Amino acid sequence: MTLVELHEMIPLLILGGAVVPLLLTVSFYRNLKLTVALTVLIFIAAFTSLFFAPKPVRTDGSLLSMDGYALFYIGLFLAASLVVALLSYGYVRERKDDCQEFYILLILATLGASVLAAANSFIPLFLGLEILSVSLYVLISYLRGFTRCIEAGVKYLILAAASSAFLLFGIALFYAECGTMDFKGISEILQIQGMPTPLLYAAFGLLFVGFGFKLAIVPFHMWTPDVYEGAPSPVTAYIATVSKGAVFSLLVRFFFIMGAHQYKKLLFLFSAIAVASMFTGNLLALRQENVKRVLAYSSIAHLGYLLVAFIAGGDLAVEAAAFYLVSYFITTLAAFGVVAALSGGERDADSIEDYRGLFWQRPWLAAALTAALLSLAGIPLTAGFLAKYYLVAAGMKARLWALVIILIINSAISIYYYLRIVAVMYAEPDAGQNAGRTAFSSSPAAGVALCVMTLLLVWIGVYPQTLITIINAVINYAYPF
Amino acid sequence: MTELVWIIPALPLAGFLTLAFFGRRLARPAVAWIGAGSVGLSAAAASVLAAAFMVNPPAGSSYTLTLWTWMSVGGFAPQISFYLDPLSIVFVLIITFVGFLIHLYSVEFMADDEGYSRFFAYMNLFIGSMLILVLAGDLLLLYLGWEGVGLCSYLLIGFWYRDPKNGLAARKAFIMTRVGDTAMAIGLFLLLKSFGTLNVQDLMAAASGQWSRGSALAAVSAALLLGGALGKSAQLPLQTWLPDAMAGPTPVSALIHAATMVTAGVYLIGRTHALFELAPVVMNAVAVIGAATLLVAGLSALAQTDIKRVLAYSTISQIGYMFLALGVGAWSAAIFHFVTHAFFKALLFLGAGAVILALDDEHDMTKMGGLRKKLPLVFWSFMAGAASLSALPLVSAGFYSKEMILWRSFVGWSGNPLLWAAGLAGAFITALYTFRMVFITFFGQPKSDVHRVPGWRMNLPLLVLACLSVAGGFVETPDTLGNVRIFSGFLRSVFQALPVRESLAGLELSLQIPAALAPLLGLLAAYLFYMTIPANGRRFSPAARGSRLRRFFFSGWGFDWLYDKLFVLPFIFAARKNRNDVADMVNRGIAAISLSANRGLSWTQSGMLRWYAIGIAAGAIIMIGLAVVL
Amino acid sequence: MSDYNLSLFYLLIYSTTVVILVAGMIILSYLLGGRHREPATGEPYESGILSTGSARLRFSAQFYVIAMFFVIFDLETVFLVSWAISVRETGWGGFAVILVFLAFLLSVLVYEWRIGAFDYAVSGREILKSIRKAKGI
Repeated sequence: MTLVELHEMIPLLILGGAVVPLLLTVSFYRNLKLTVALTVLIFIAAFTSLFFAPKPVRTDGSLLSMDGYALFYIGLFLAASLVVALLSYGYVRERKDDCQEFYILLILATLGASVLAAANSFIPLFLGLEILSVSLYVLISYLRGFTRCIEAGVKYLILAAASSAFLLFGIALFYAECGTMDFKGISEILQIQGMPTPLLYAAFGLLFVGFGFKLAIVPFHMWTPDVYEGAPSPVTAYIATVSKGAVFSLLVRFFFIMGAHQYKKLLFLFSAIAVASMFTGNLLALRQENVKRVLAYSSIAHLGYLLVAFIAGGDLAVEAAAFYLVSYFITTLAAFGVVAALSGGERDADSIEDYRGLFWQRPWLAAALTAALLSLAGIPLTAGFLAKYYLVAAGMKARLWALVIILIINSAISIYYYLRIVAVMYAEPDAGQNAGRTAFSSSPAAGVALCVMTLLLVWIGVYPQTLITIINAVINYAYPF
Repeated sequence: MTELVWIIPALPLAGFLTLAFFGRRLARPAVAWIGAGSVGLSAAAASVLAAAFMVNPPAGSSYTLTLWTWMSVGGFAPQISFYLDPLSIVFVLIITFVGFLIHLYSVEFMADDEGYSRFFAYMNLFIGSMLILVLAGDLLLLYLGWEGVGLCSYLLIGFWYRDPKNGLAARKAFIMTRVGDTAMAIGLFLLLKSFGTLNVQDLMAAASGQWSRGSALAAVSAALLLGGALGKSAQLPLQTWLPDAMAGPTPVSALIHAATMVTAGVYLIGRTHALFELAPVVMNAVAVIGAATLLVAGLSALAQTDIKRVLAYSTISQIGYMFLALGVGAWSAAIFHFVTHAFFKALLFLGAGAVILALDDEHDMTKMGGLRKKLPLVFWSFMAGAASLSALPLVSAGFYSKEMILWRSFVGWSGNPLLWAAGLAGAFITALYTFRMVFITFFGQPKSDVHRVPGWRMNLPLLVLACLSVAGGFVETPDTLGNVRIFSGFLRSVFQALPVRESLAGLELSLQIPAALAPLLGLLAAYLFYMTIPANGRRFSPAARGSRLRRFFFSGWGFDWLYDKLFVLPFIFAARKNRNDVADMVNRGIAAISLSANRGLSWTQSGMLRWYAIGIAAGAIIMIGLAVVL
Repeated sequence: MSDYNLSLFYLLIYSTTVVILVAGMIILSYLLGGRHREPATGEPYESGILSTGSARLRFSAQFYVIAMFFVIFDLETVFLVSWAISVRETGWGGFAVILVFLAFLLSVLVYEWRIGAFDYAVSGREILKSIRKAKGI
């Protein structure tokens, strides 16, 4: 390991190294404000260090490649984690004493996600995935006083472990066939072979089981609503954004390095998954009365949309996926931020009835949630519209007419359940509704985070050029890996 | 200087945001200051900018401020840009100035309304959207403004939403204009498909370069844009929504349904005139529609008893004049008439509003009378507006603009004597219904008490607009009357003058004399009919048994009835016949499939961990099976 | 037959065999196995004493905590041993890395000690504290 490589890895080192002093601080002096402040500081420090990253040195066989692609996604994960940290401050404090470890786990999970974004070989892939997963097991069931939390944690633990086993088996098959763990090495062998052996196809399939579980795409999606519902709202936001984003960024990198777009079989497989995910997610959300579950189903559908860009391949696809992920992150964080802010100490504000007449009582929160839902539905002048437009453009460029048409049909279906929530928010509140409403558990920190997310949402919808420029500058720096 | 053009629409939009979010917590004076102040500042900014533009015109007499590219995906890169040229400057000045006066008026007019801040929020949003519409350098942005003003129109017509009638009127306006908007959207898609851009200037240049005159594509896209313009500007056959739109507060009628929004269609055609010039058929259609509309609406106005409905039909009729001018290629005449019309029609609406307020919300003219003595200021300003509307020669702004239109409709590019005759007949009718309204309302015996005399915030706009209605026409006079050409000179860089049939040039004076006489004859007829025989005025209540023709006119030529029979009834009939039929089965089928799919899929979400695990295992088997065997 | 199809063919034979075998075992035992239904059939020990209570015992959480400590600190020896056999090859760099590793473990130990993970019995002081808290002293 050379000094340059160490220099490259500074963002990861900051995250990993900062956990230990934080842990020791917590051991001797428990103070939530201090912990949160330190966490925020660590995220900001890691984020800042991204700007001082050296030009990546291409050494084949290195485990991590901290290229522009990785730096972009690491930055995205750090920013999203920072928002989650701010959102959770008031939320967790209200439900549990001594919750400093929450933030340590959050930093660790972000470390895992960052490793995934930079992974260049199966070893960091698996390490990153497990760091992320193990932290998430605890985070999901962190509020031990709530049975739903425990249930969600156990479900996630068992299913994630099972899917990891599939993944590991897939990796083993790759190693058995190619004798290397390095993505580049495997792709070279694939090039020589011309066509993968059945064993390698099986390995691809097994690998996608593991990825598919984390991405919650059909048919590995069934845990999503239960876990989304049970987990603390900020953690749900984290699963929906960082955890999925990390695996997706890895999937794109893996697929591109493998040159897997030339294998029509795999593309067909992904098309089938995308179509199934879109329909399943949207149809299940139609009559759902629980807002967190609606968001869970909608996230299944959204990953289906995202796969369209992924299948399309090419320059525009990488750009489209990055744009989509950024706007999806912002939108989802805003939506769950509102849910978290509305949830009192007793239970989460997840029934649709909790939102009846919200506009007349908390116009700001209602406006933020409206913006987020409209963005999820892809209404113009929100980030979600441009993101979806990007996907359609990428799909059309690759002549995936069927997929694009299905995407549009599904967008139409999805508008129904998003607007249902919006309509409920603007309905006249019932008398005596206030009594039933759970108390407000937001903190100024969460308020600021929520406000920033909402503004960004509209800002990107109206003025996306900044983001497009950043994406092009940073990602093309590395393309094609 | 010109790069600050974004401030003009930004100010009212900022006012809207402030009022929308904090309006309920603000005191009324603060709401008034923000609502009217933002528009006032915008007007000040607009005049400074216009002065700078005139003193030091930029190269090519136009200036484009590109704020940013909205998105740039797959070759489609719509820009958020403002385009400043004499045409947009004229519109911006009118919108901000008349808008400010109407806001000032509303401060007092709406003073007792409970939705005070809501009203000003909507009004500010409207001004902002309208400014975006006229400043847009890209048809997509124009469309955003177009829909924005449509939304505000809907919200403001239904402002007093507690009365379901108002809600219905708002819905009617929205749906009728939507018919036109759909056509326009298709037109935009067609243009985008043909040229790959929606930037107005690029589009016009490309169209002139690539499409020959009279080509089918040009005709189709011009006709589709015309559809949008017809809906927005309430021209035949989409005019029926405007009279019902009078359900909104009177300042709304003055601002949206007289001075600004309804002329958006005129603006659109003026802005894309290069395209229309390529399609002579469509141009002729515009002229014929304009001529027909001005006659139909003028005759309808003659039979109305509600003072605001008279003005509404009059608006339709005057916009008909503008369309007539557009159709014969007299671009600057149309814009000139827009300007004078904005002055006098806003004035008339505001005057009518003052009367309505004074008589405790009385709209029926037959119950008014003798207000000349009680509301002298309102009377004299109303007279100025009426003179201008009926185009009394020499002393009114309306005369100069209408004369210009009539002259051009005879000798213009595609003008002919028939169009001229229609316009002339319209001028007679205009004077007739205008002074019928004046005589019934302000002369004769008083029939009800005046409850309230307007204060200075209502009087000031009336006075300013009255002065403009009288004097505003002197910026453009015909050859025979001084030959002042300030207005068309200012617009020259936008509209290349279309050839006039020189052979007819000698006719000018002989055509002006009938044009000047027609309004005077109308005034005389109104005097004879309504002043000398007062009973005639009273015979116009809808309850009175009028002649069949009068009832026909009263109902606006039965267009509502016709549309009811032509579209609504067959639709309902078909729907009823079809209740269990194919069309319904598709809809129900989709809903049923969705719901049963939902139920079927819900079953998989059992909450049982073992089933989830089985799901993953089965998924894995399918994945691997497909990957290996396929 | 190409290589690919050949290997696919083997896979097919293999998986068919597996399916037939498993299905055969299940079906055969279903067909041939005796079935009887007596009062004691459902009991865990058909011929033993009757069981009392439930089999689902609750163990103290401390029980698992000890098991987890064992796993954590036992695994550390794996790394230490693997470092130890390559100590000359890895040199000072390896030494530094293993020191960092040990420092991590040490801080984890400190943390666990501080949160009272090693207090196997409930301490008297804690009981007194909770009583005081309950009485509001």
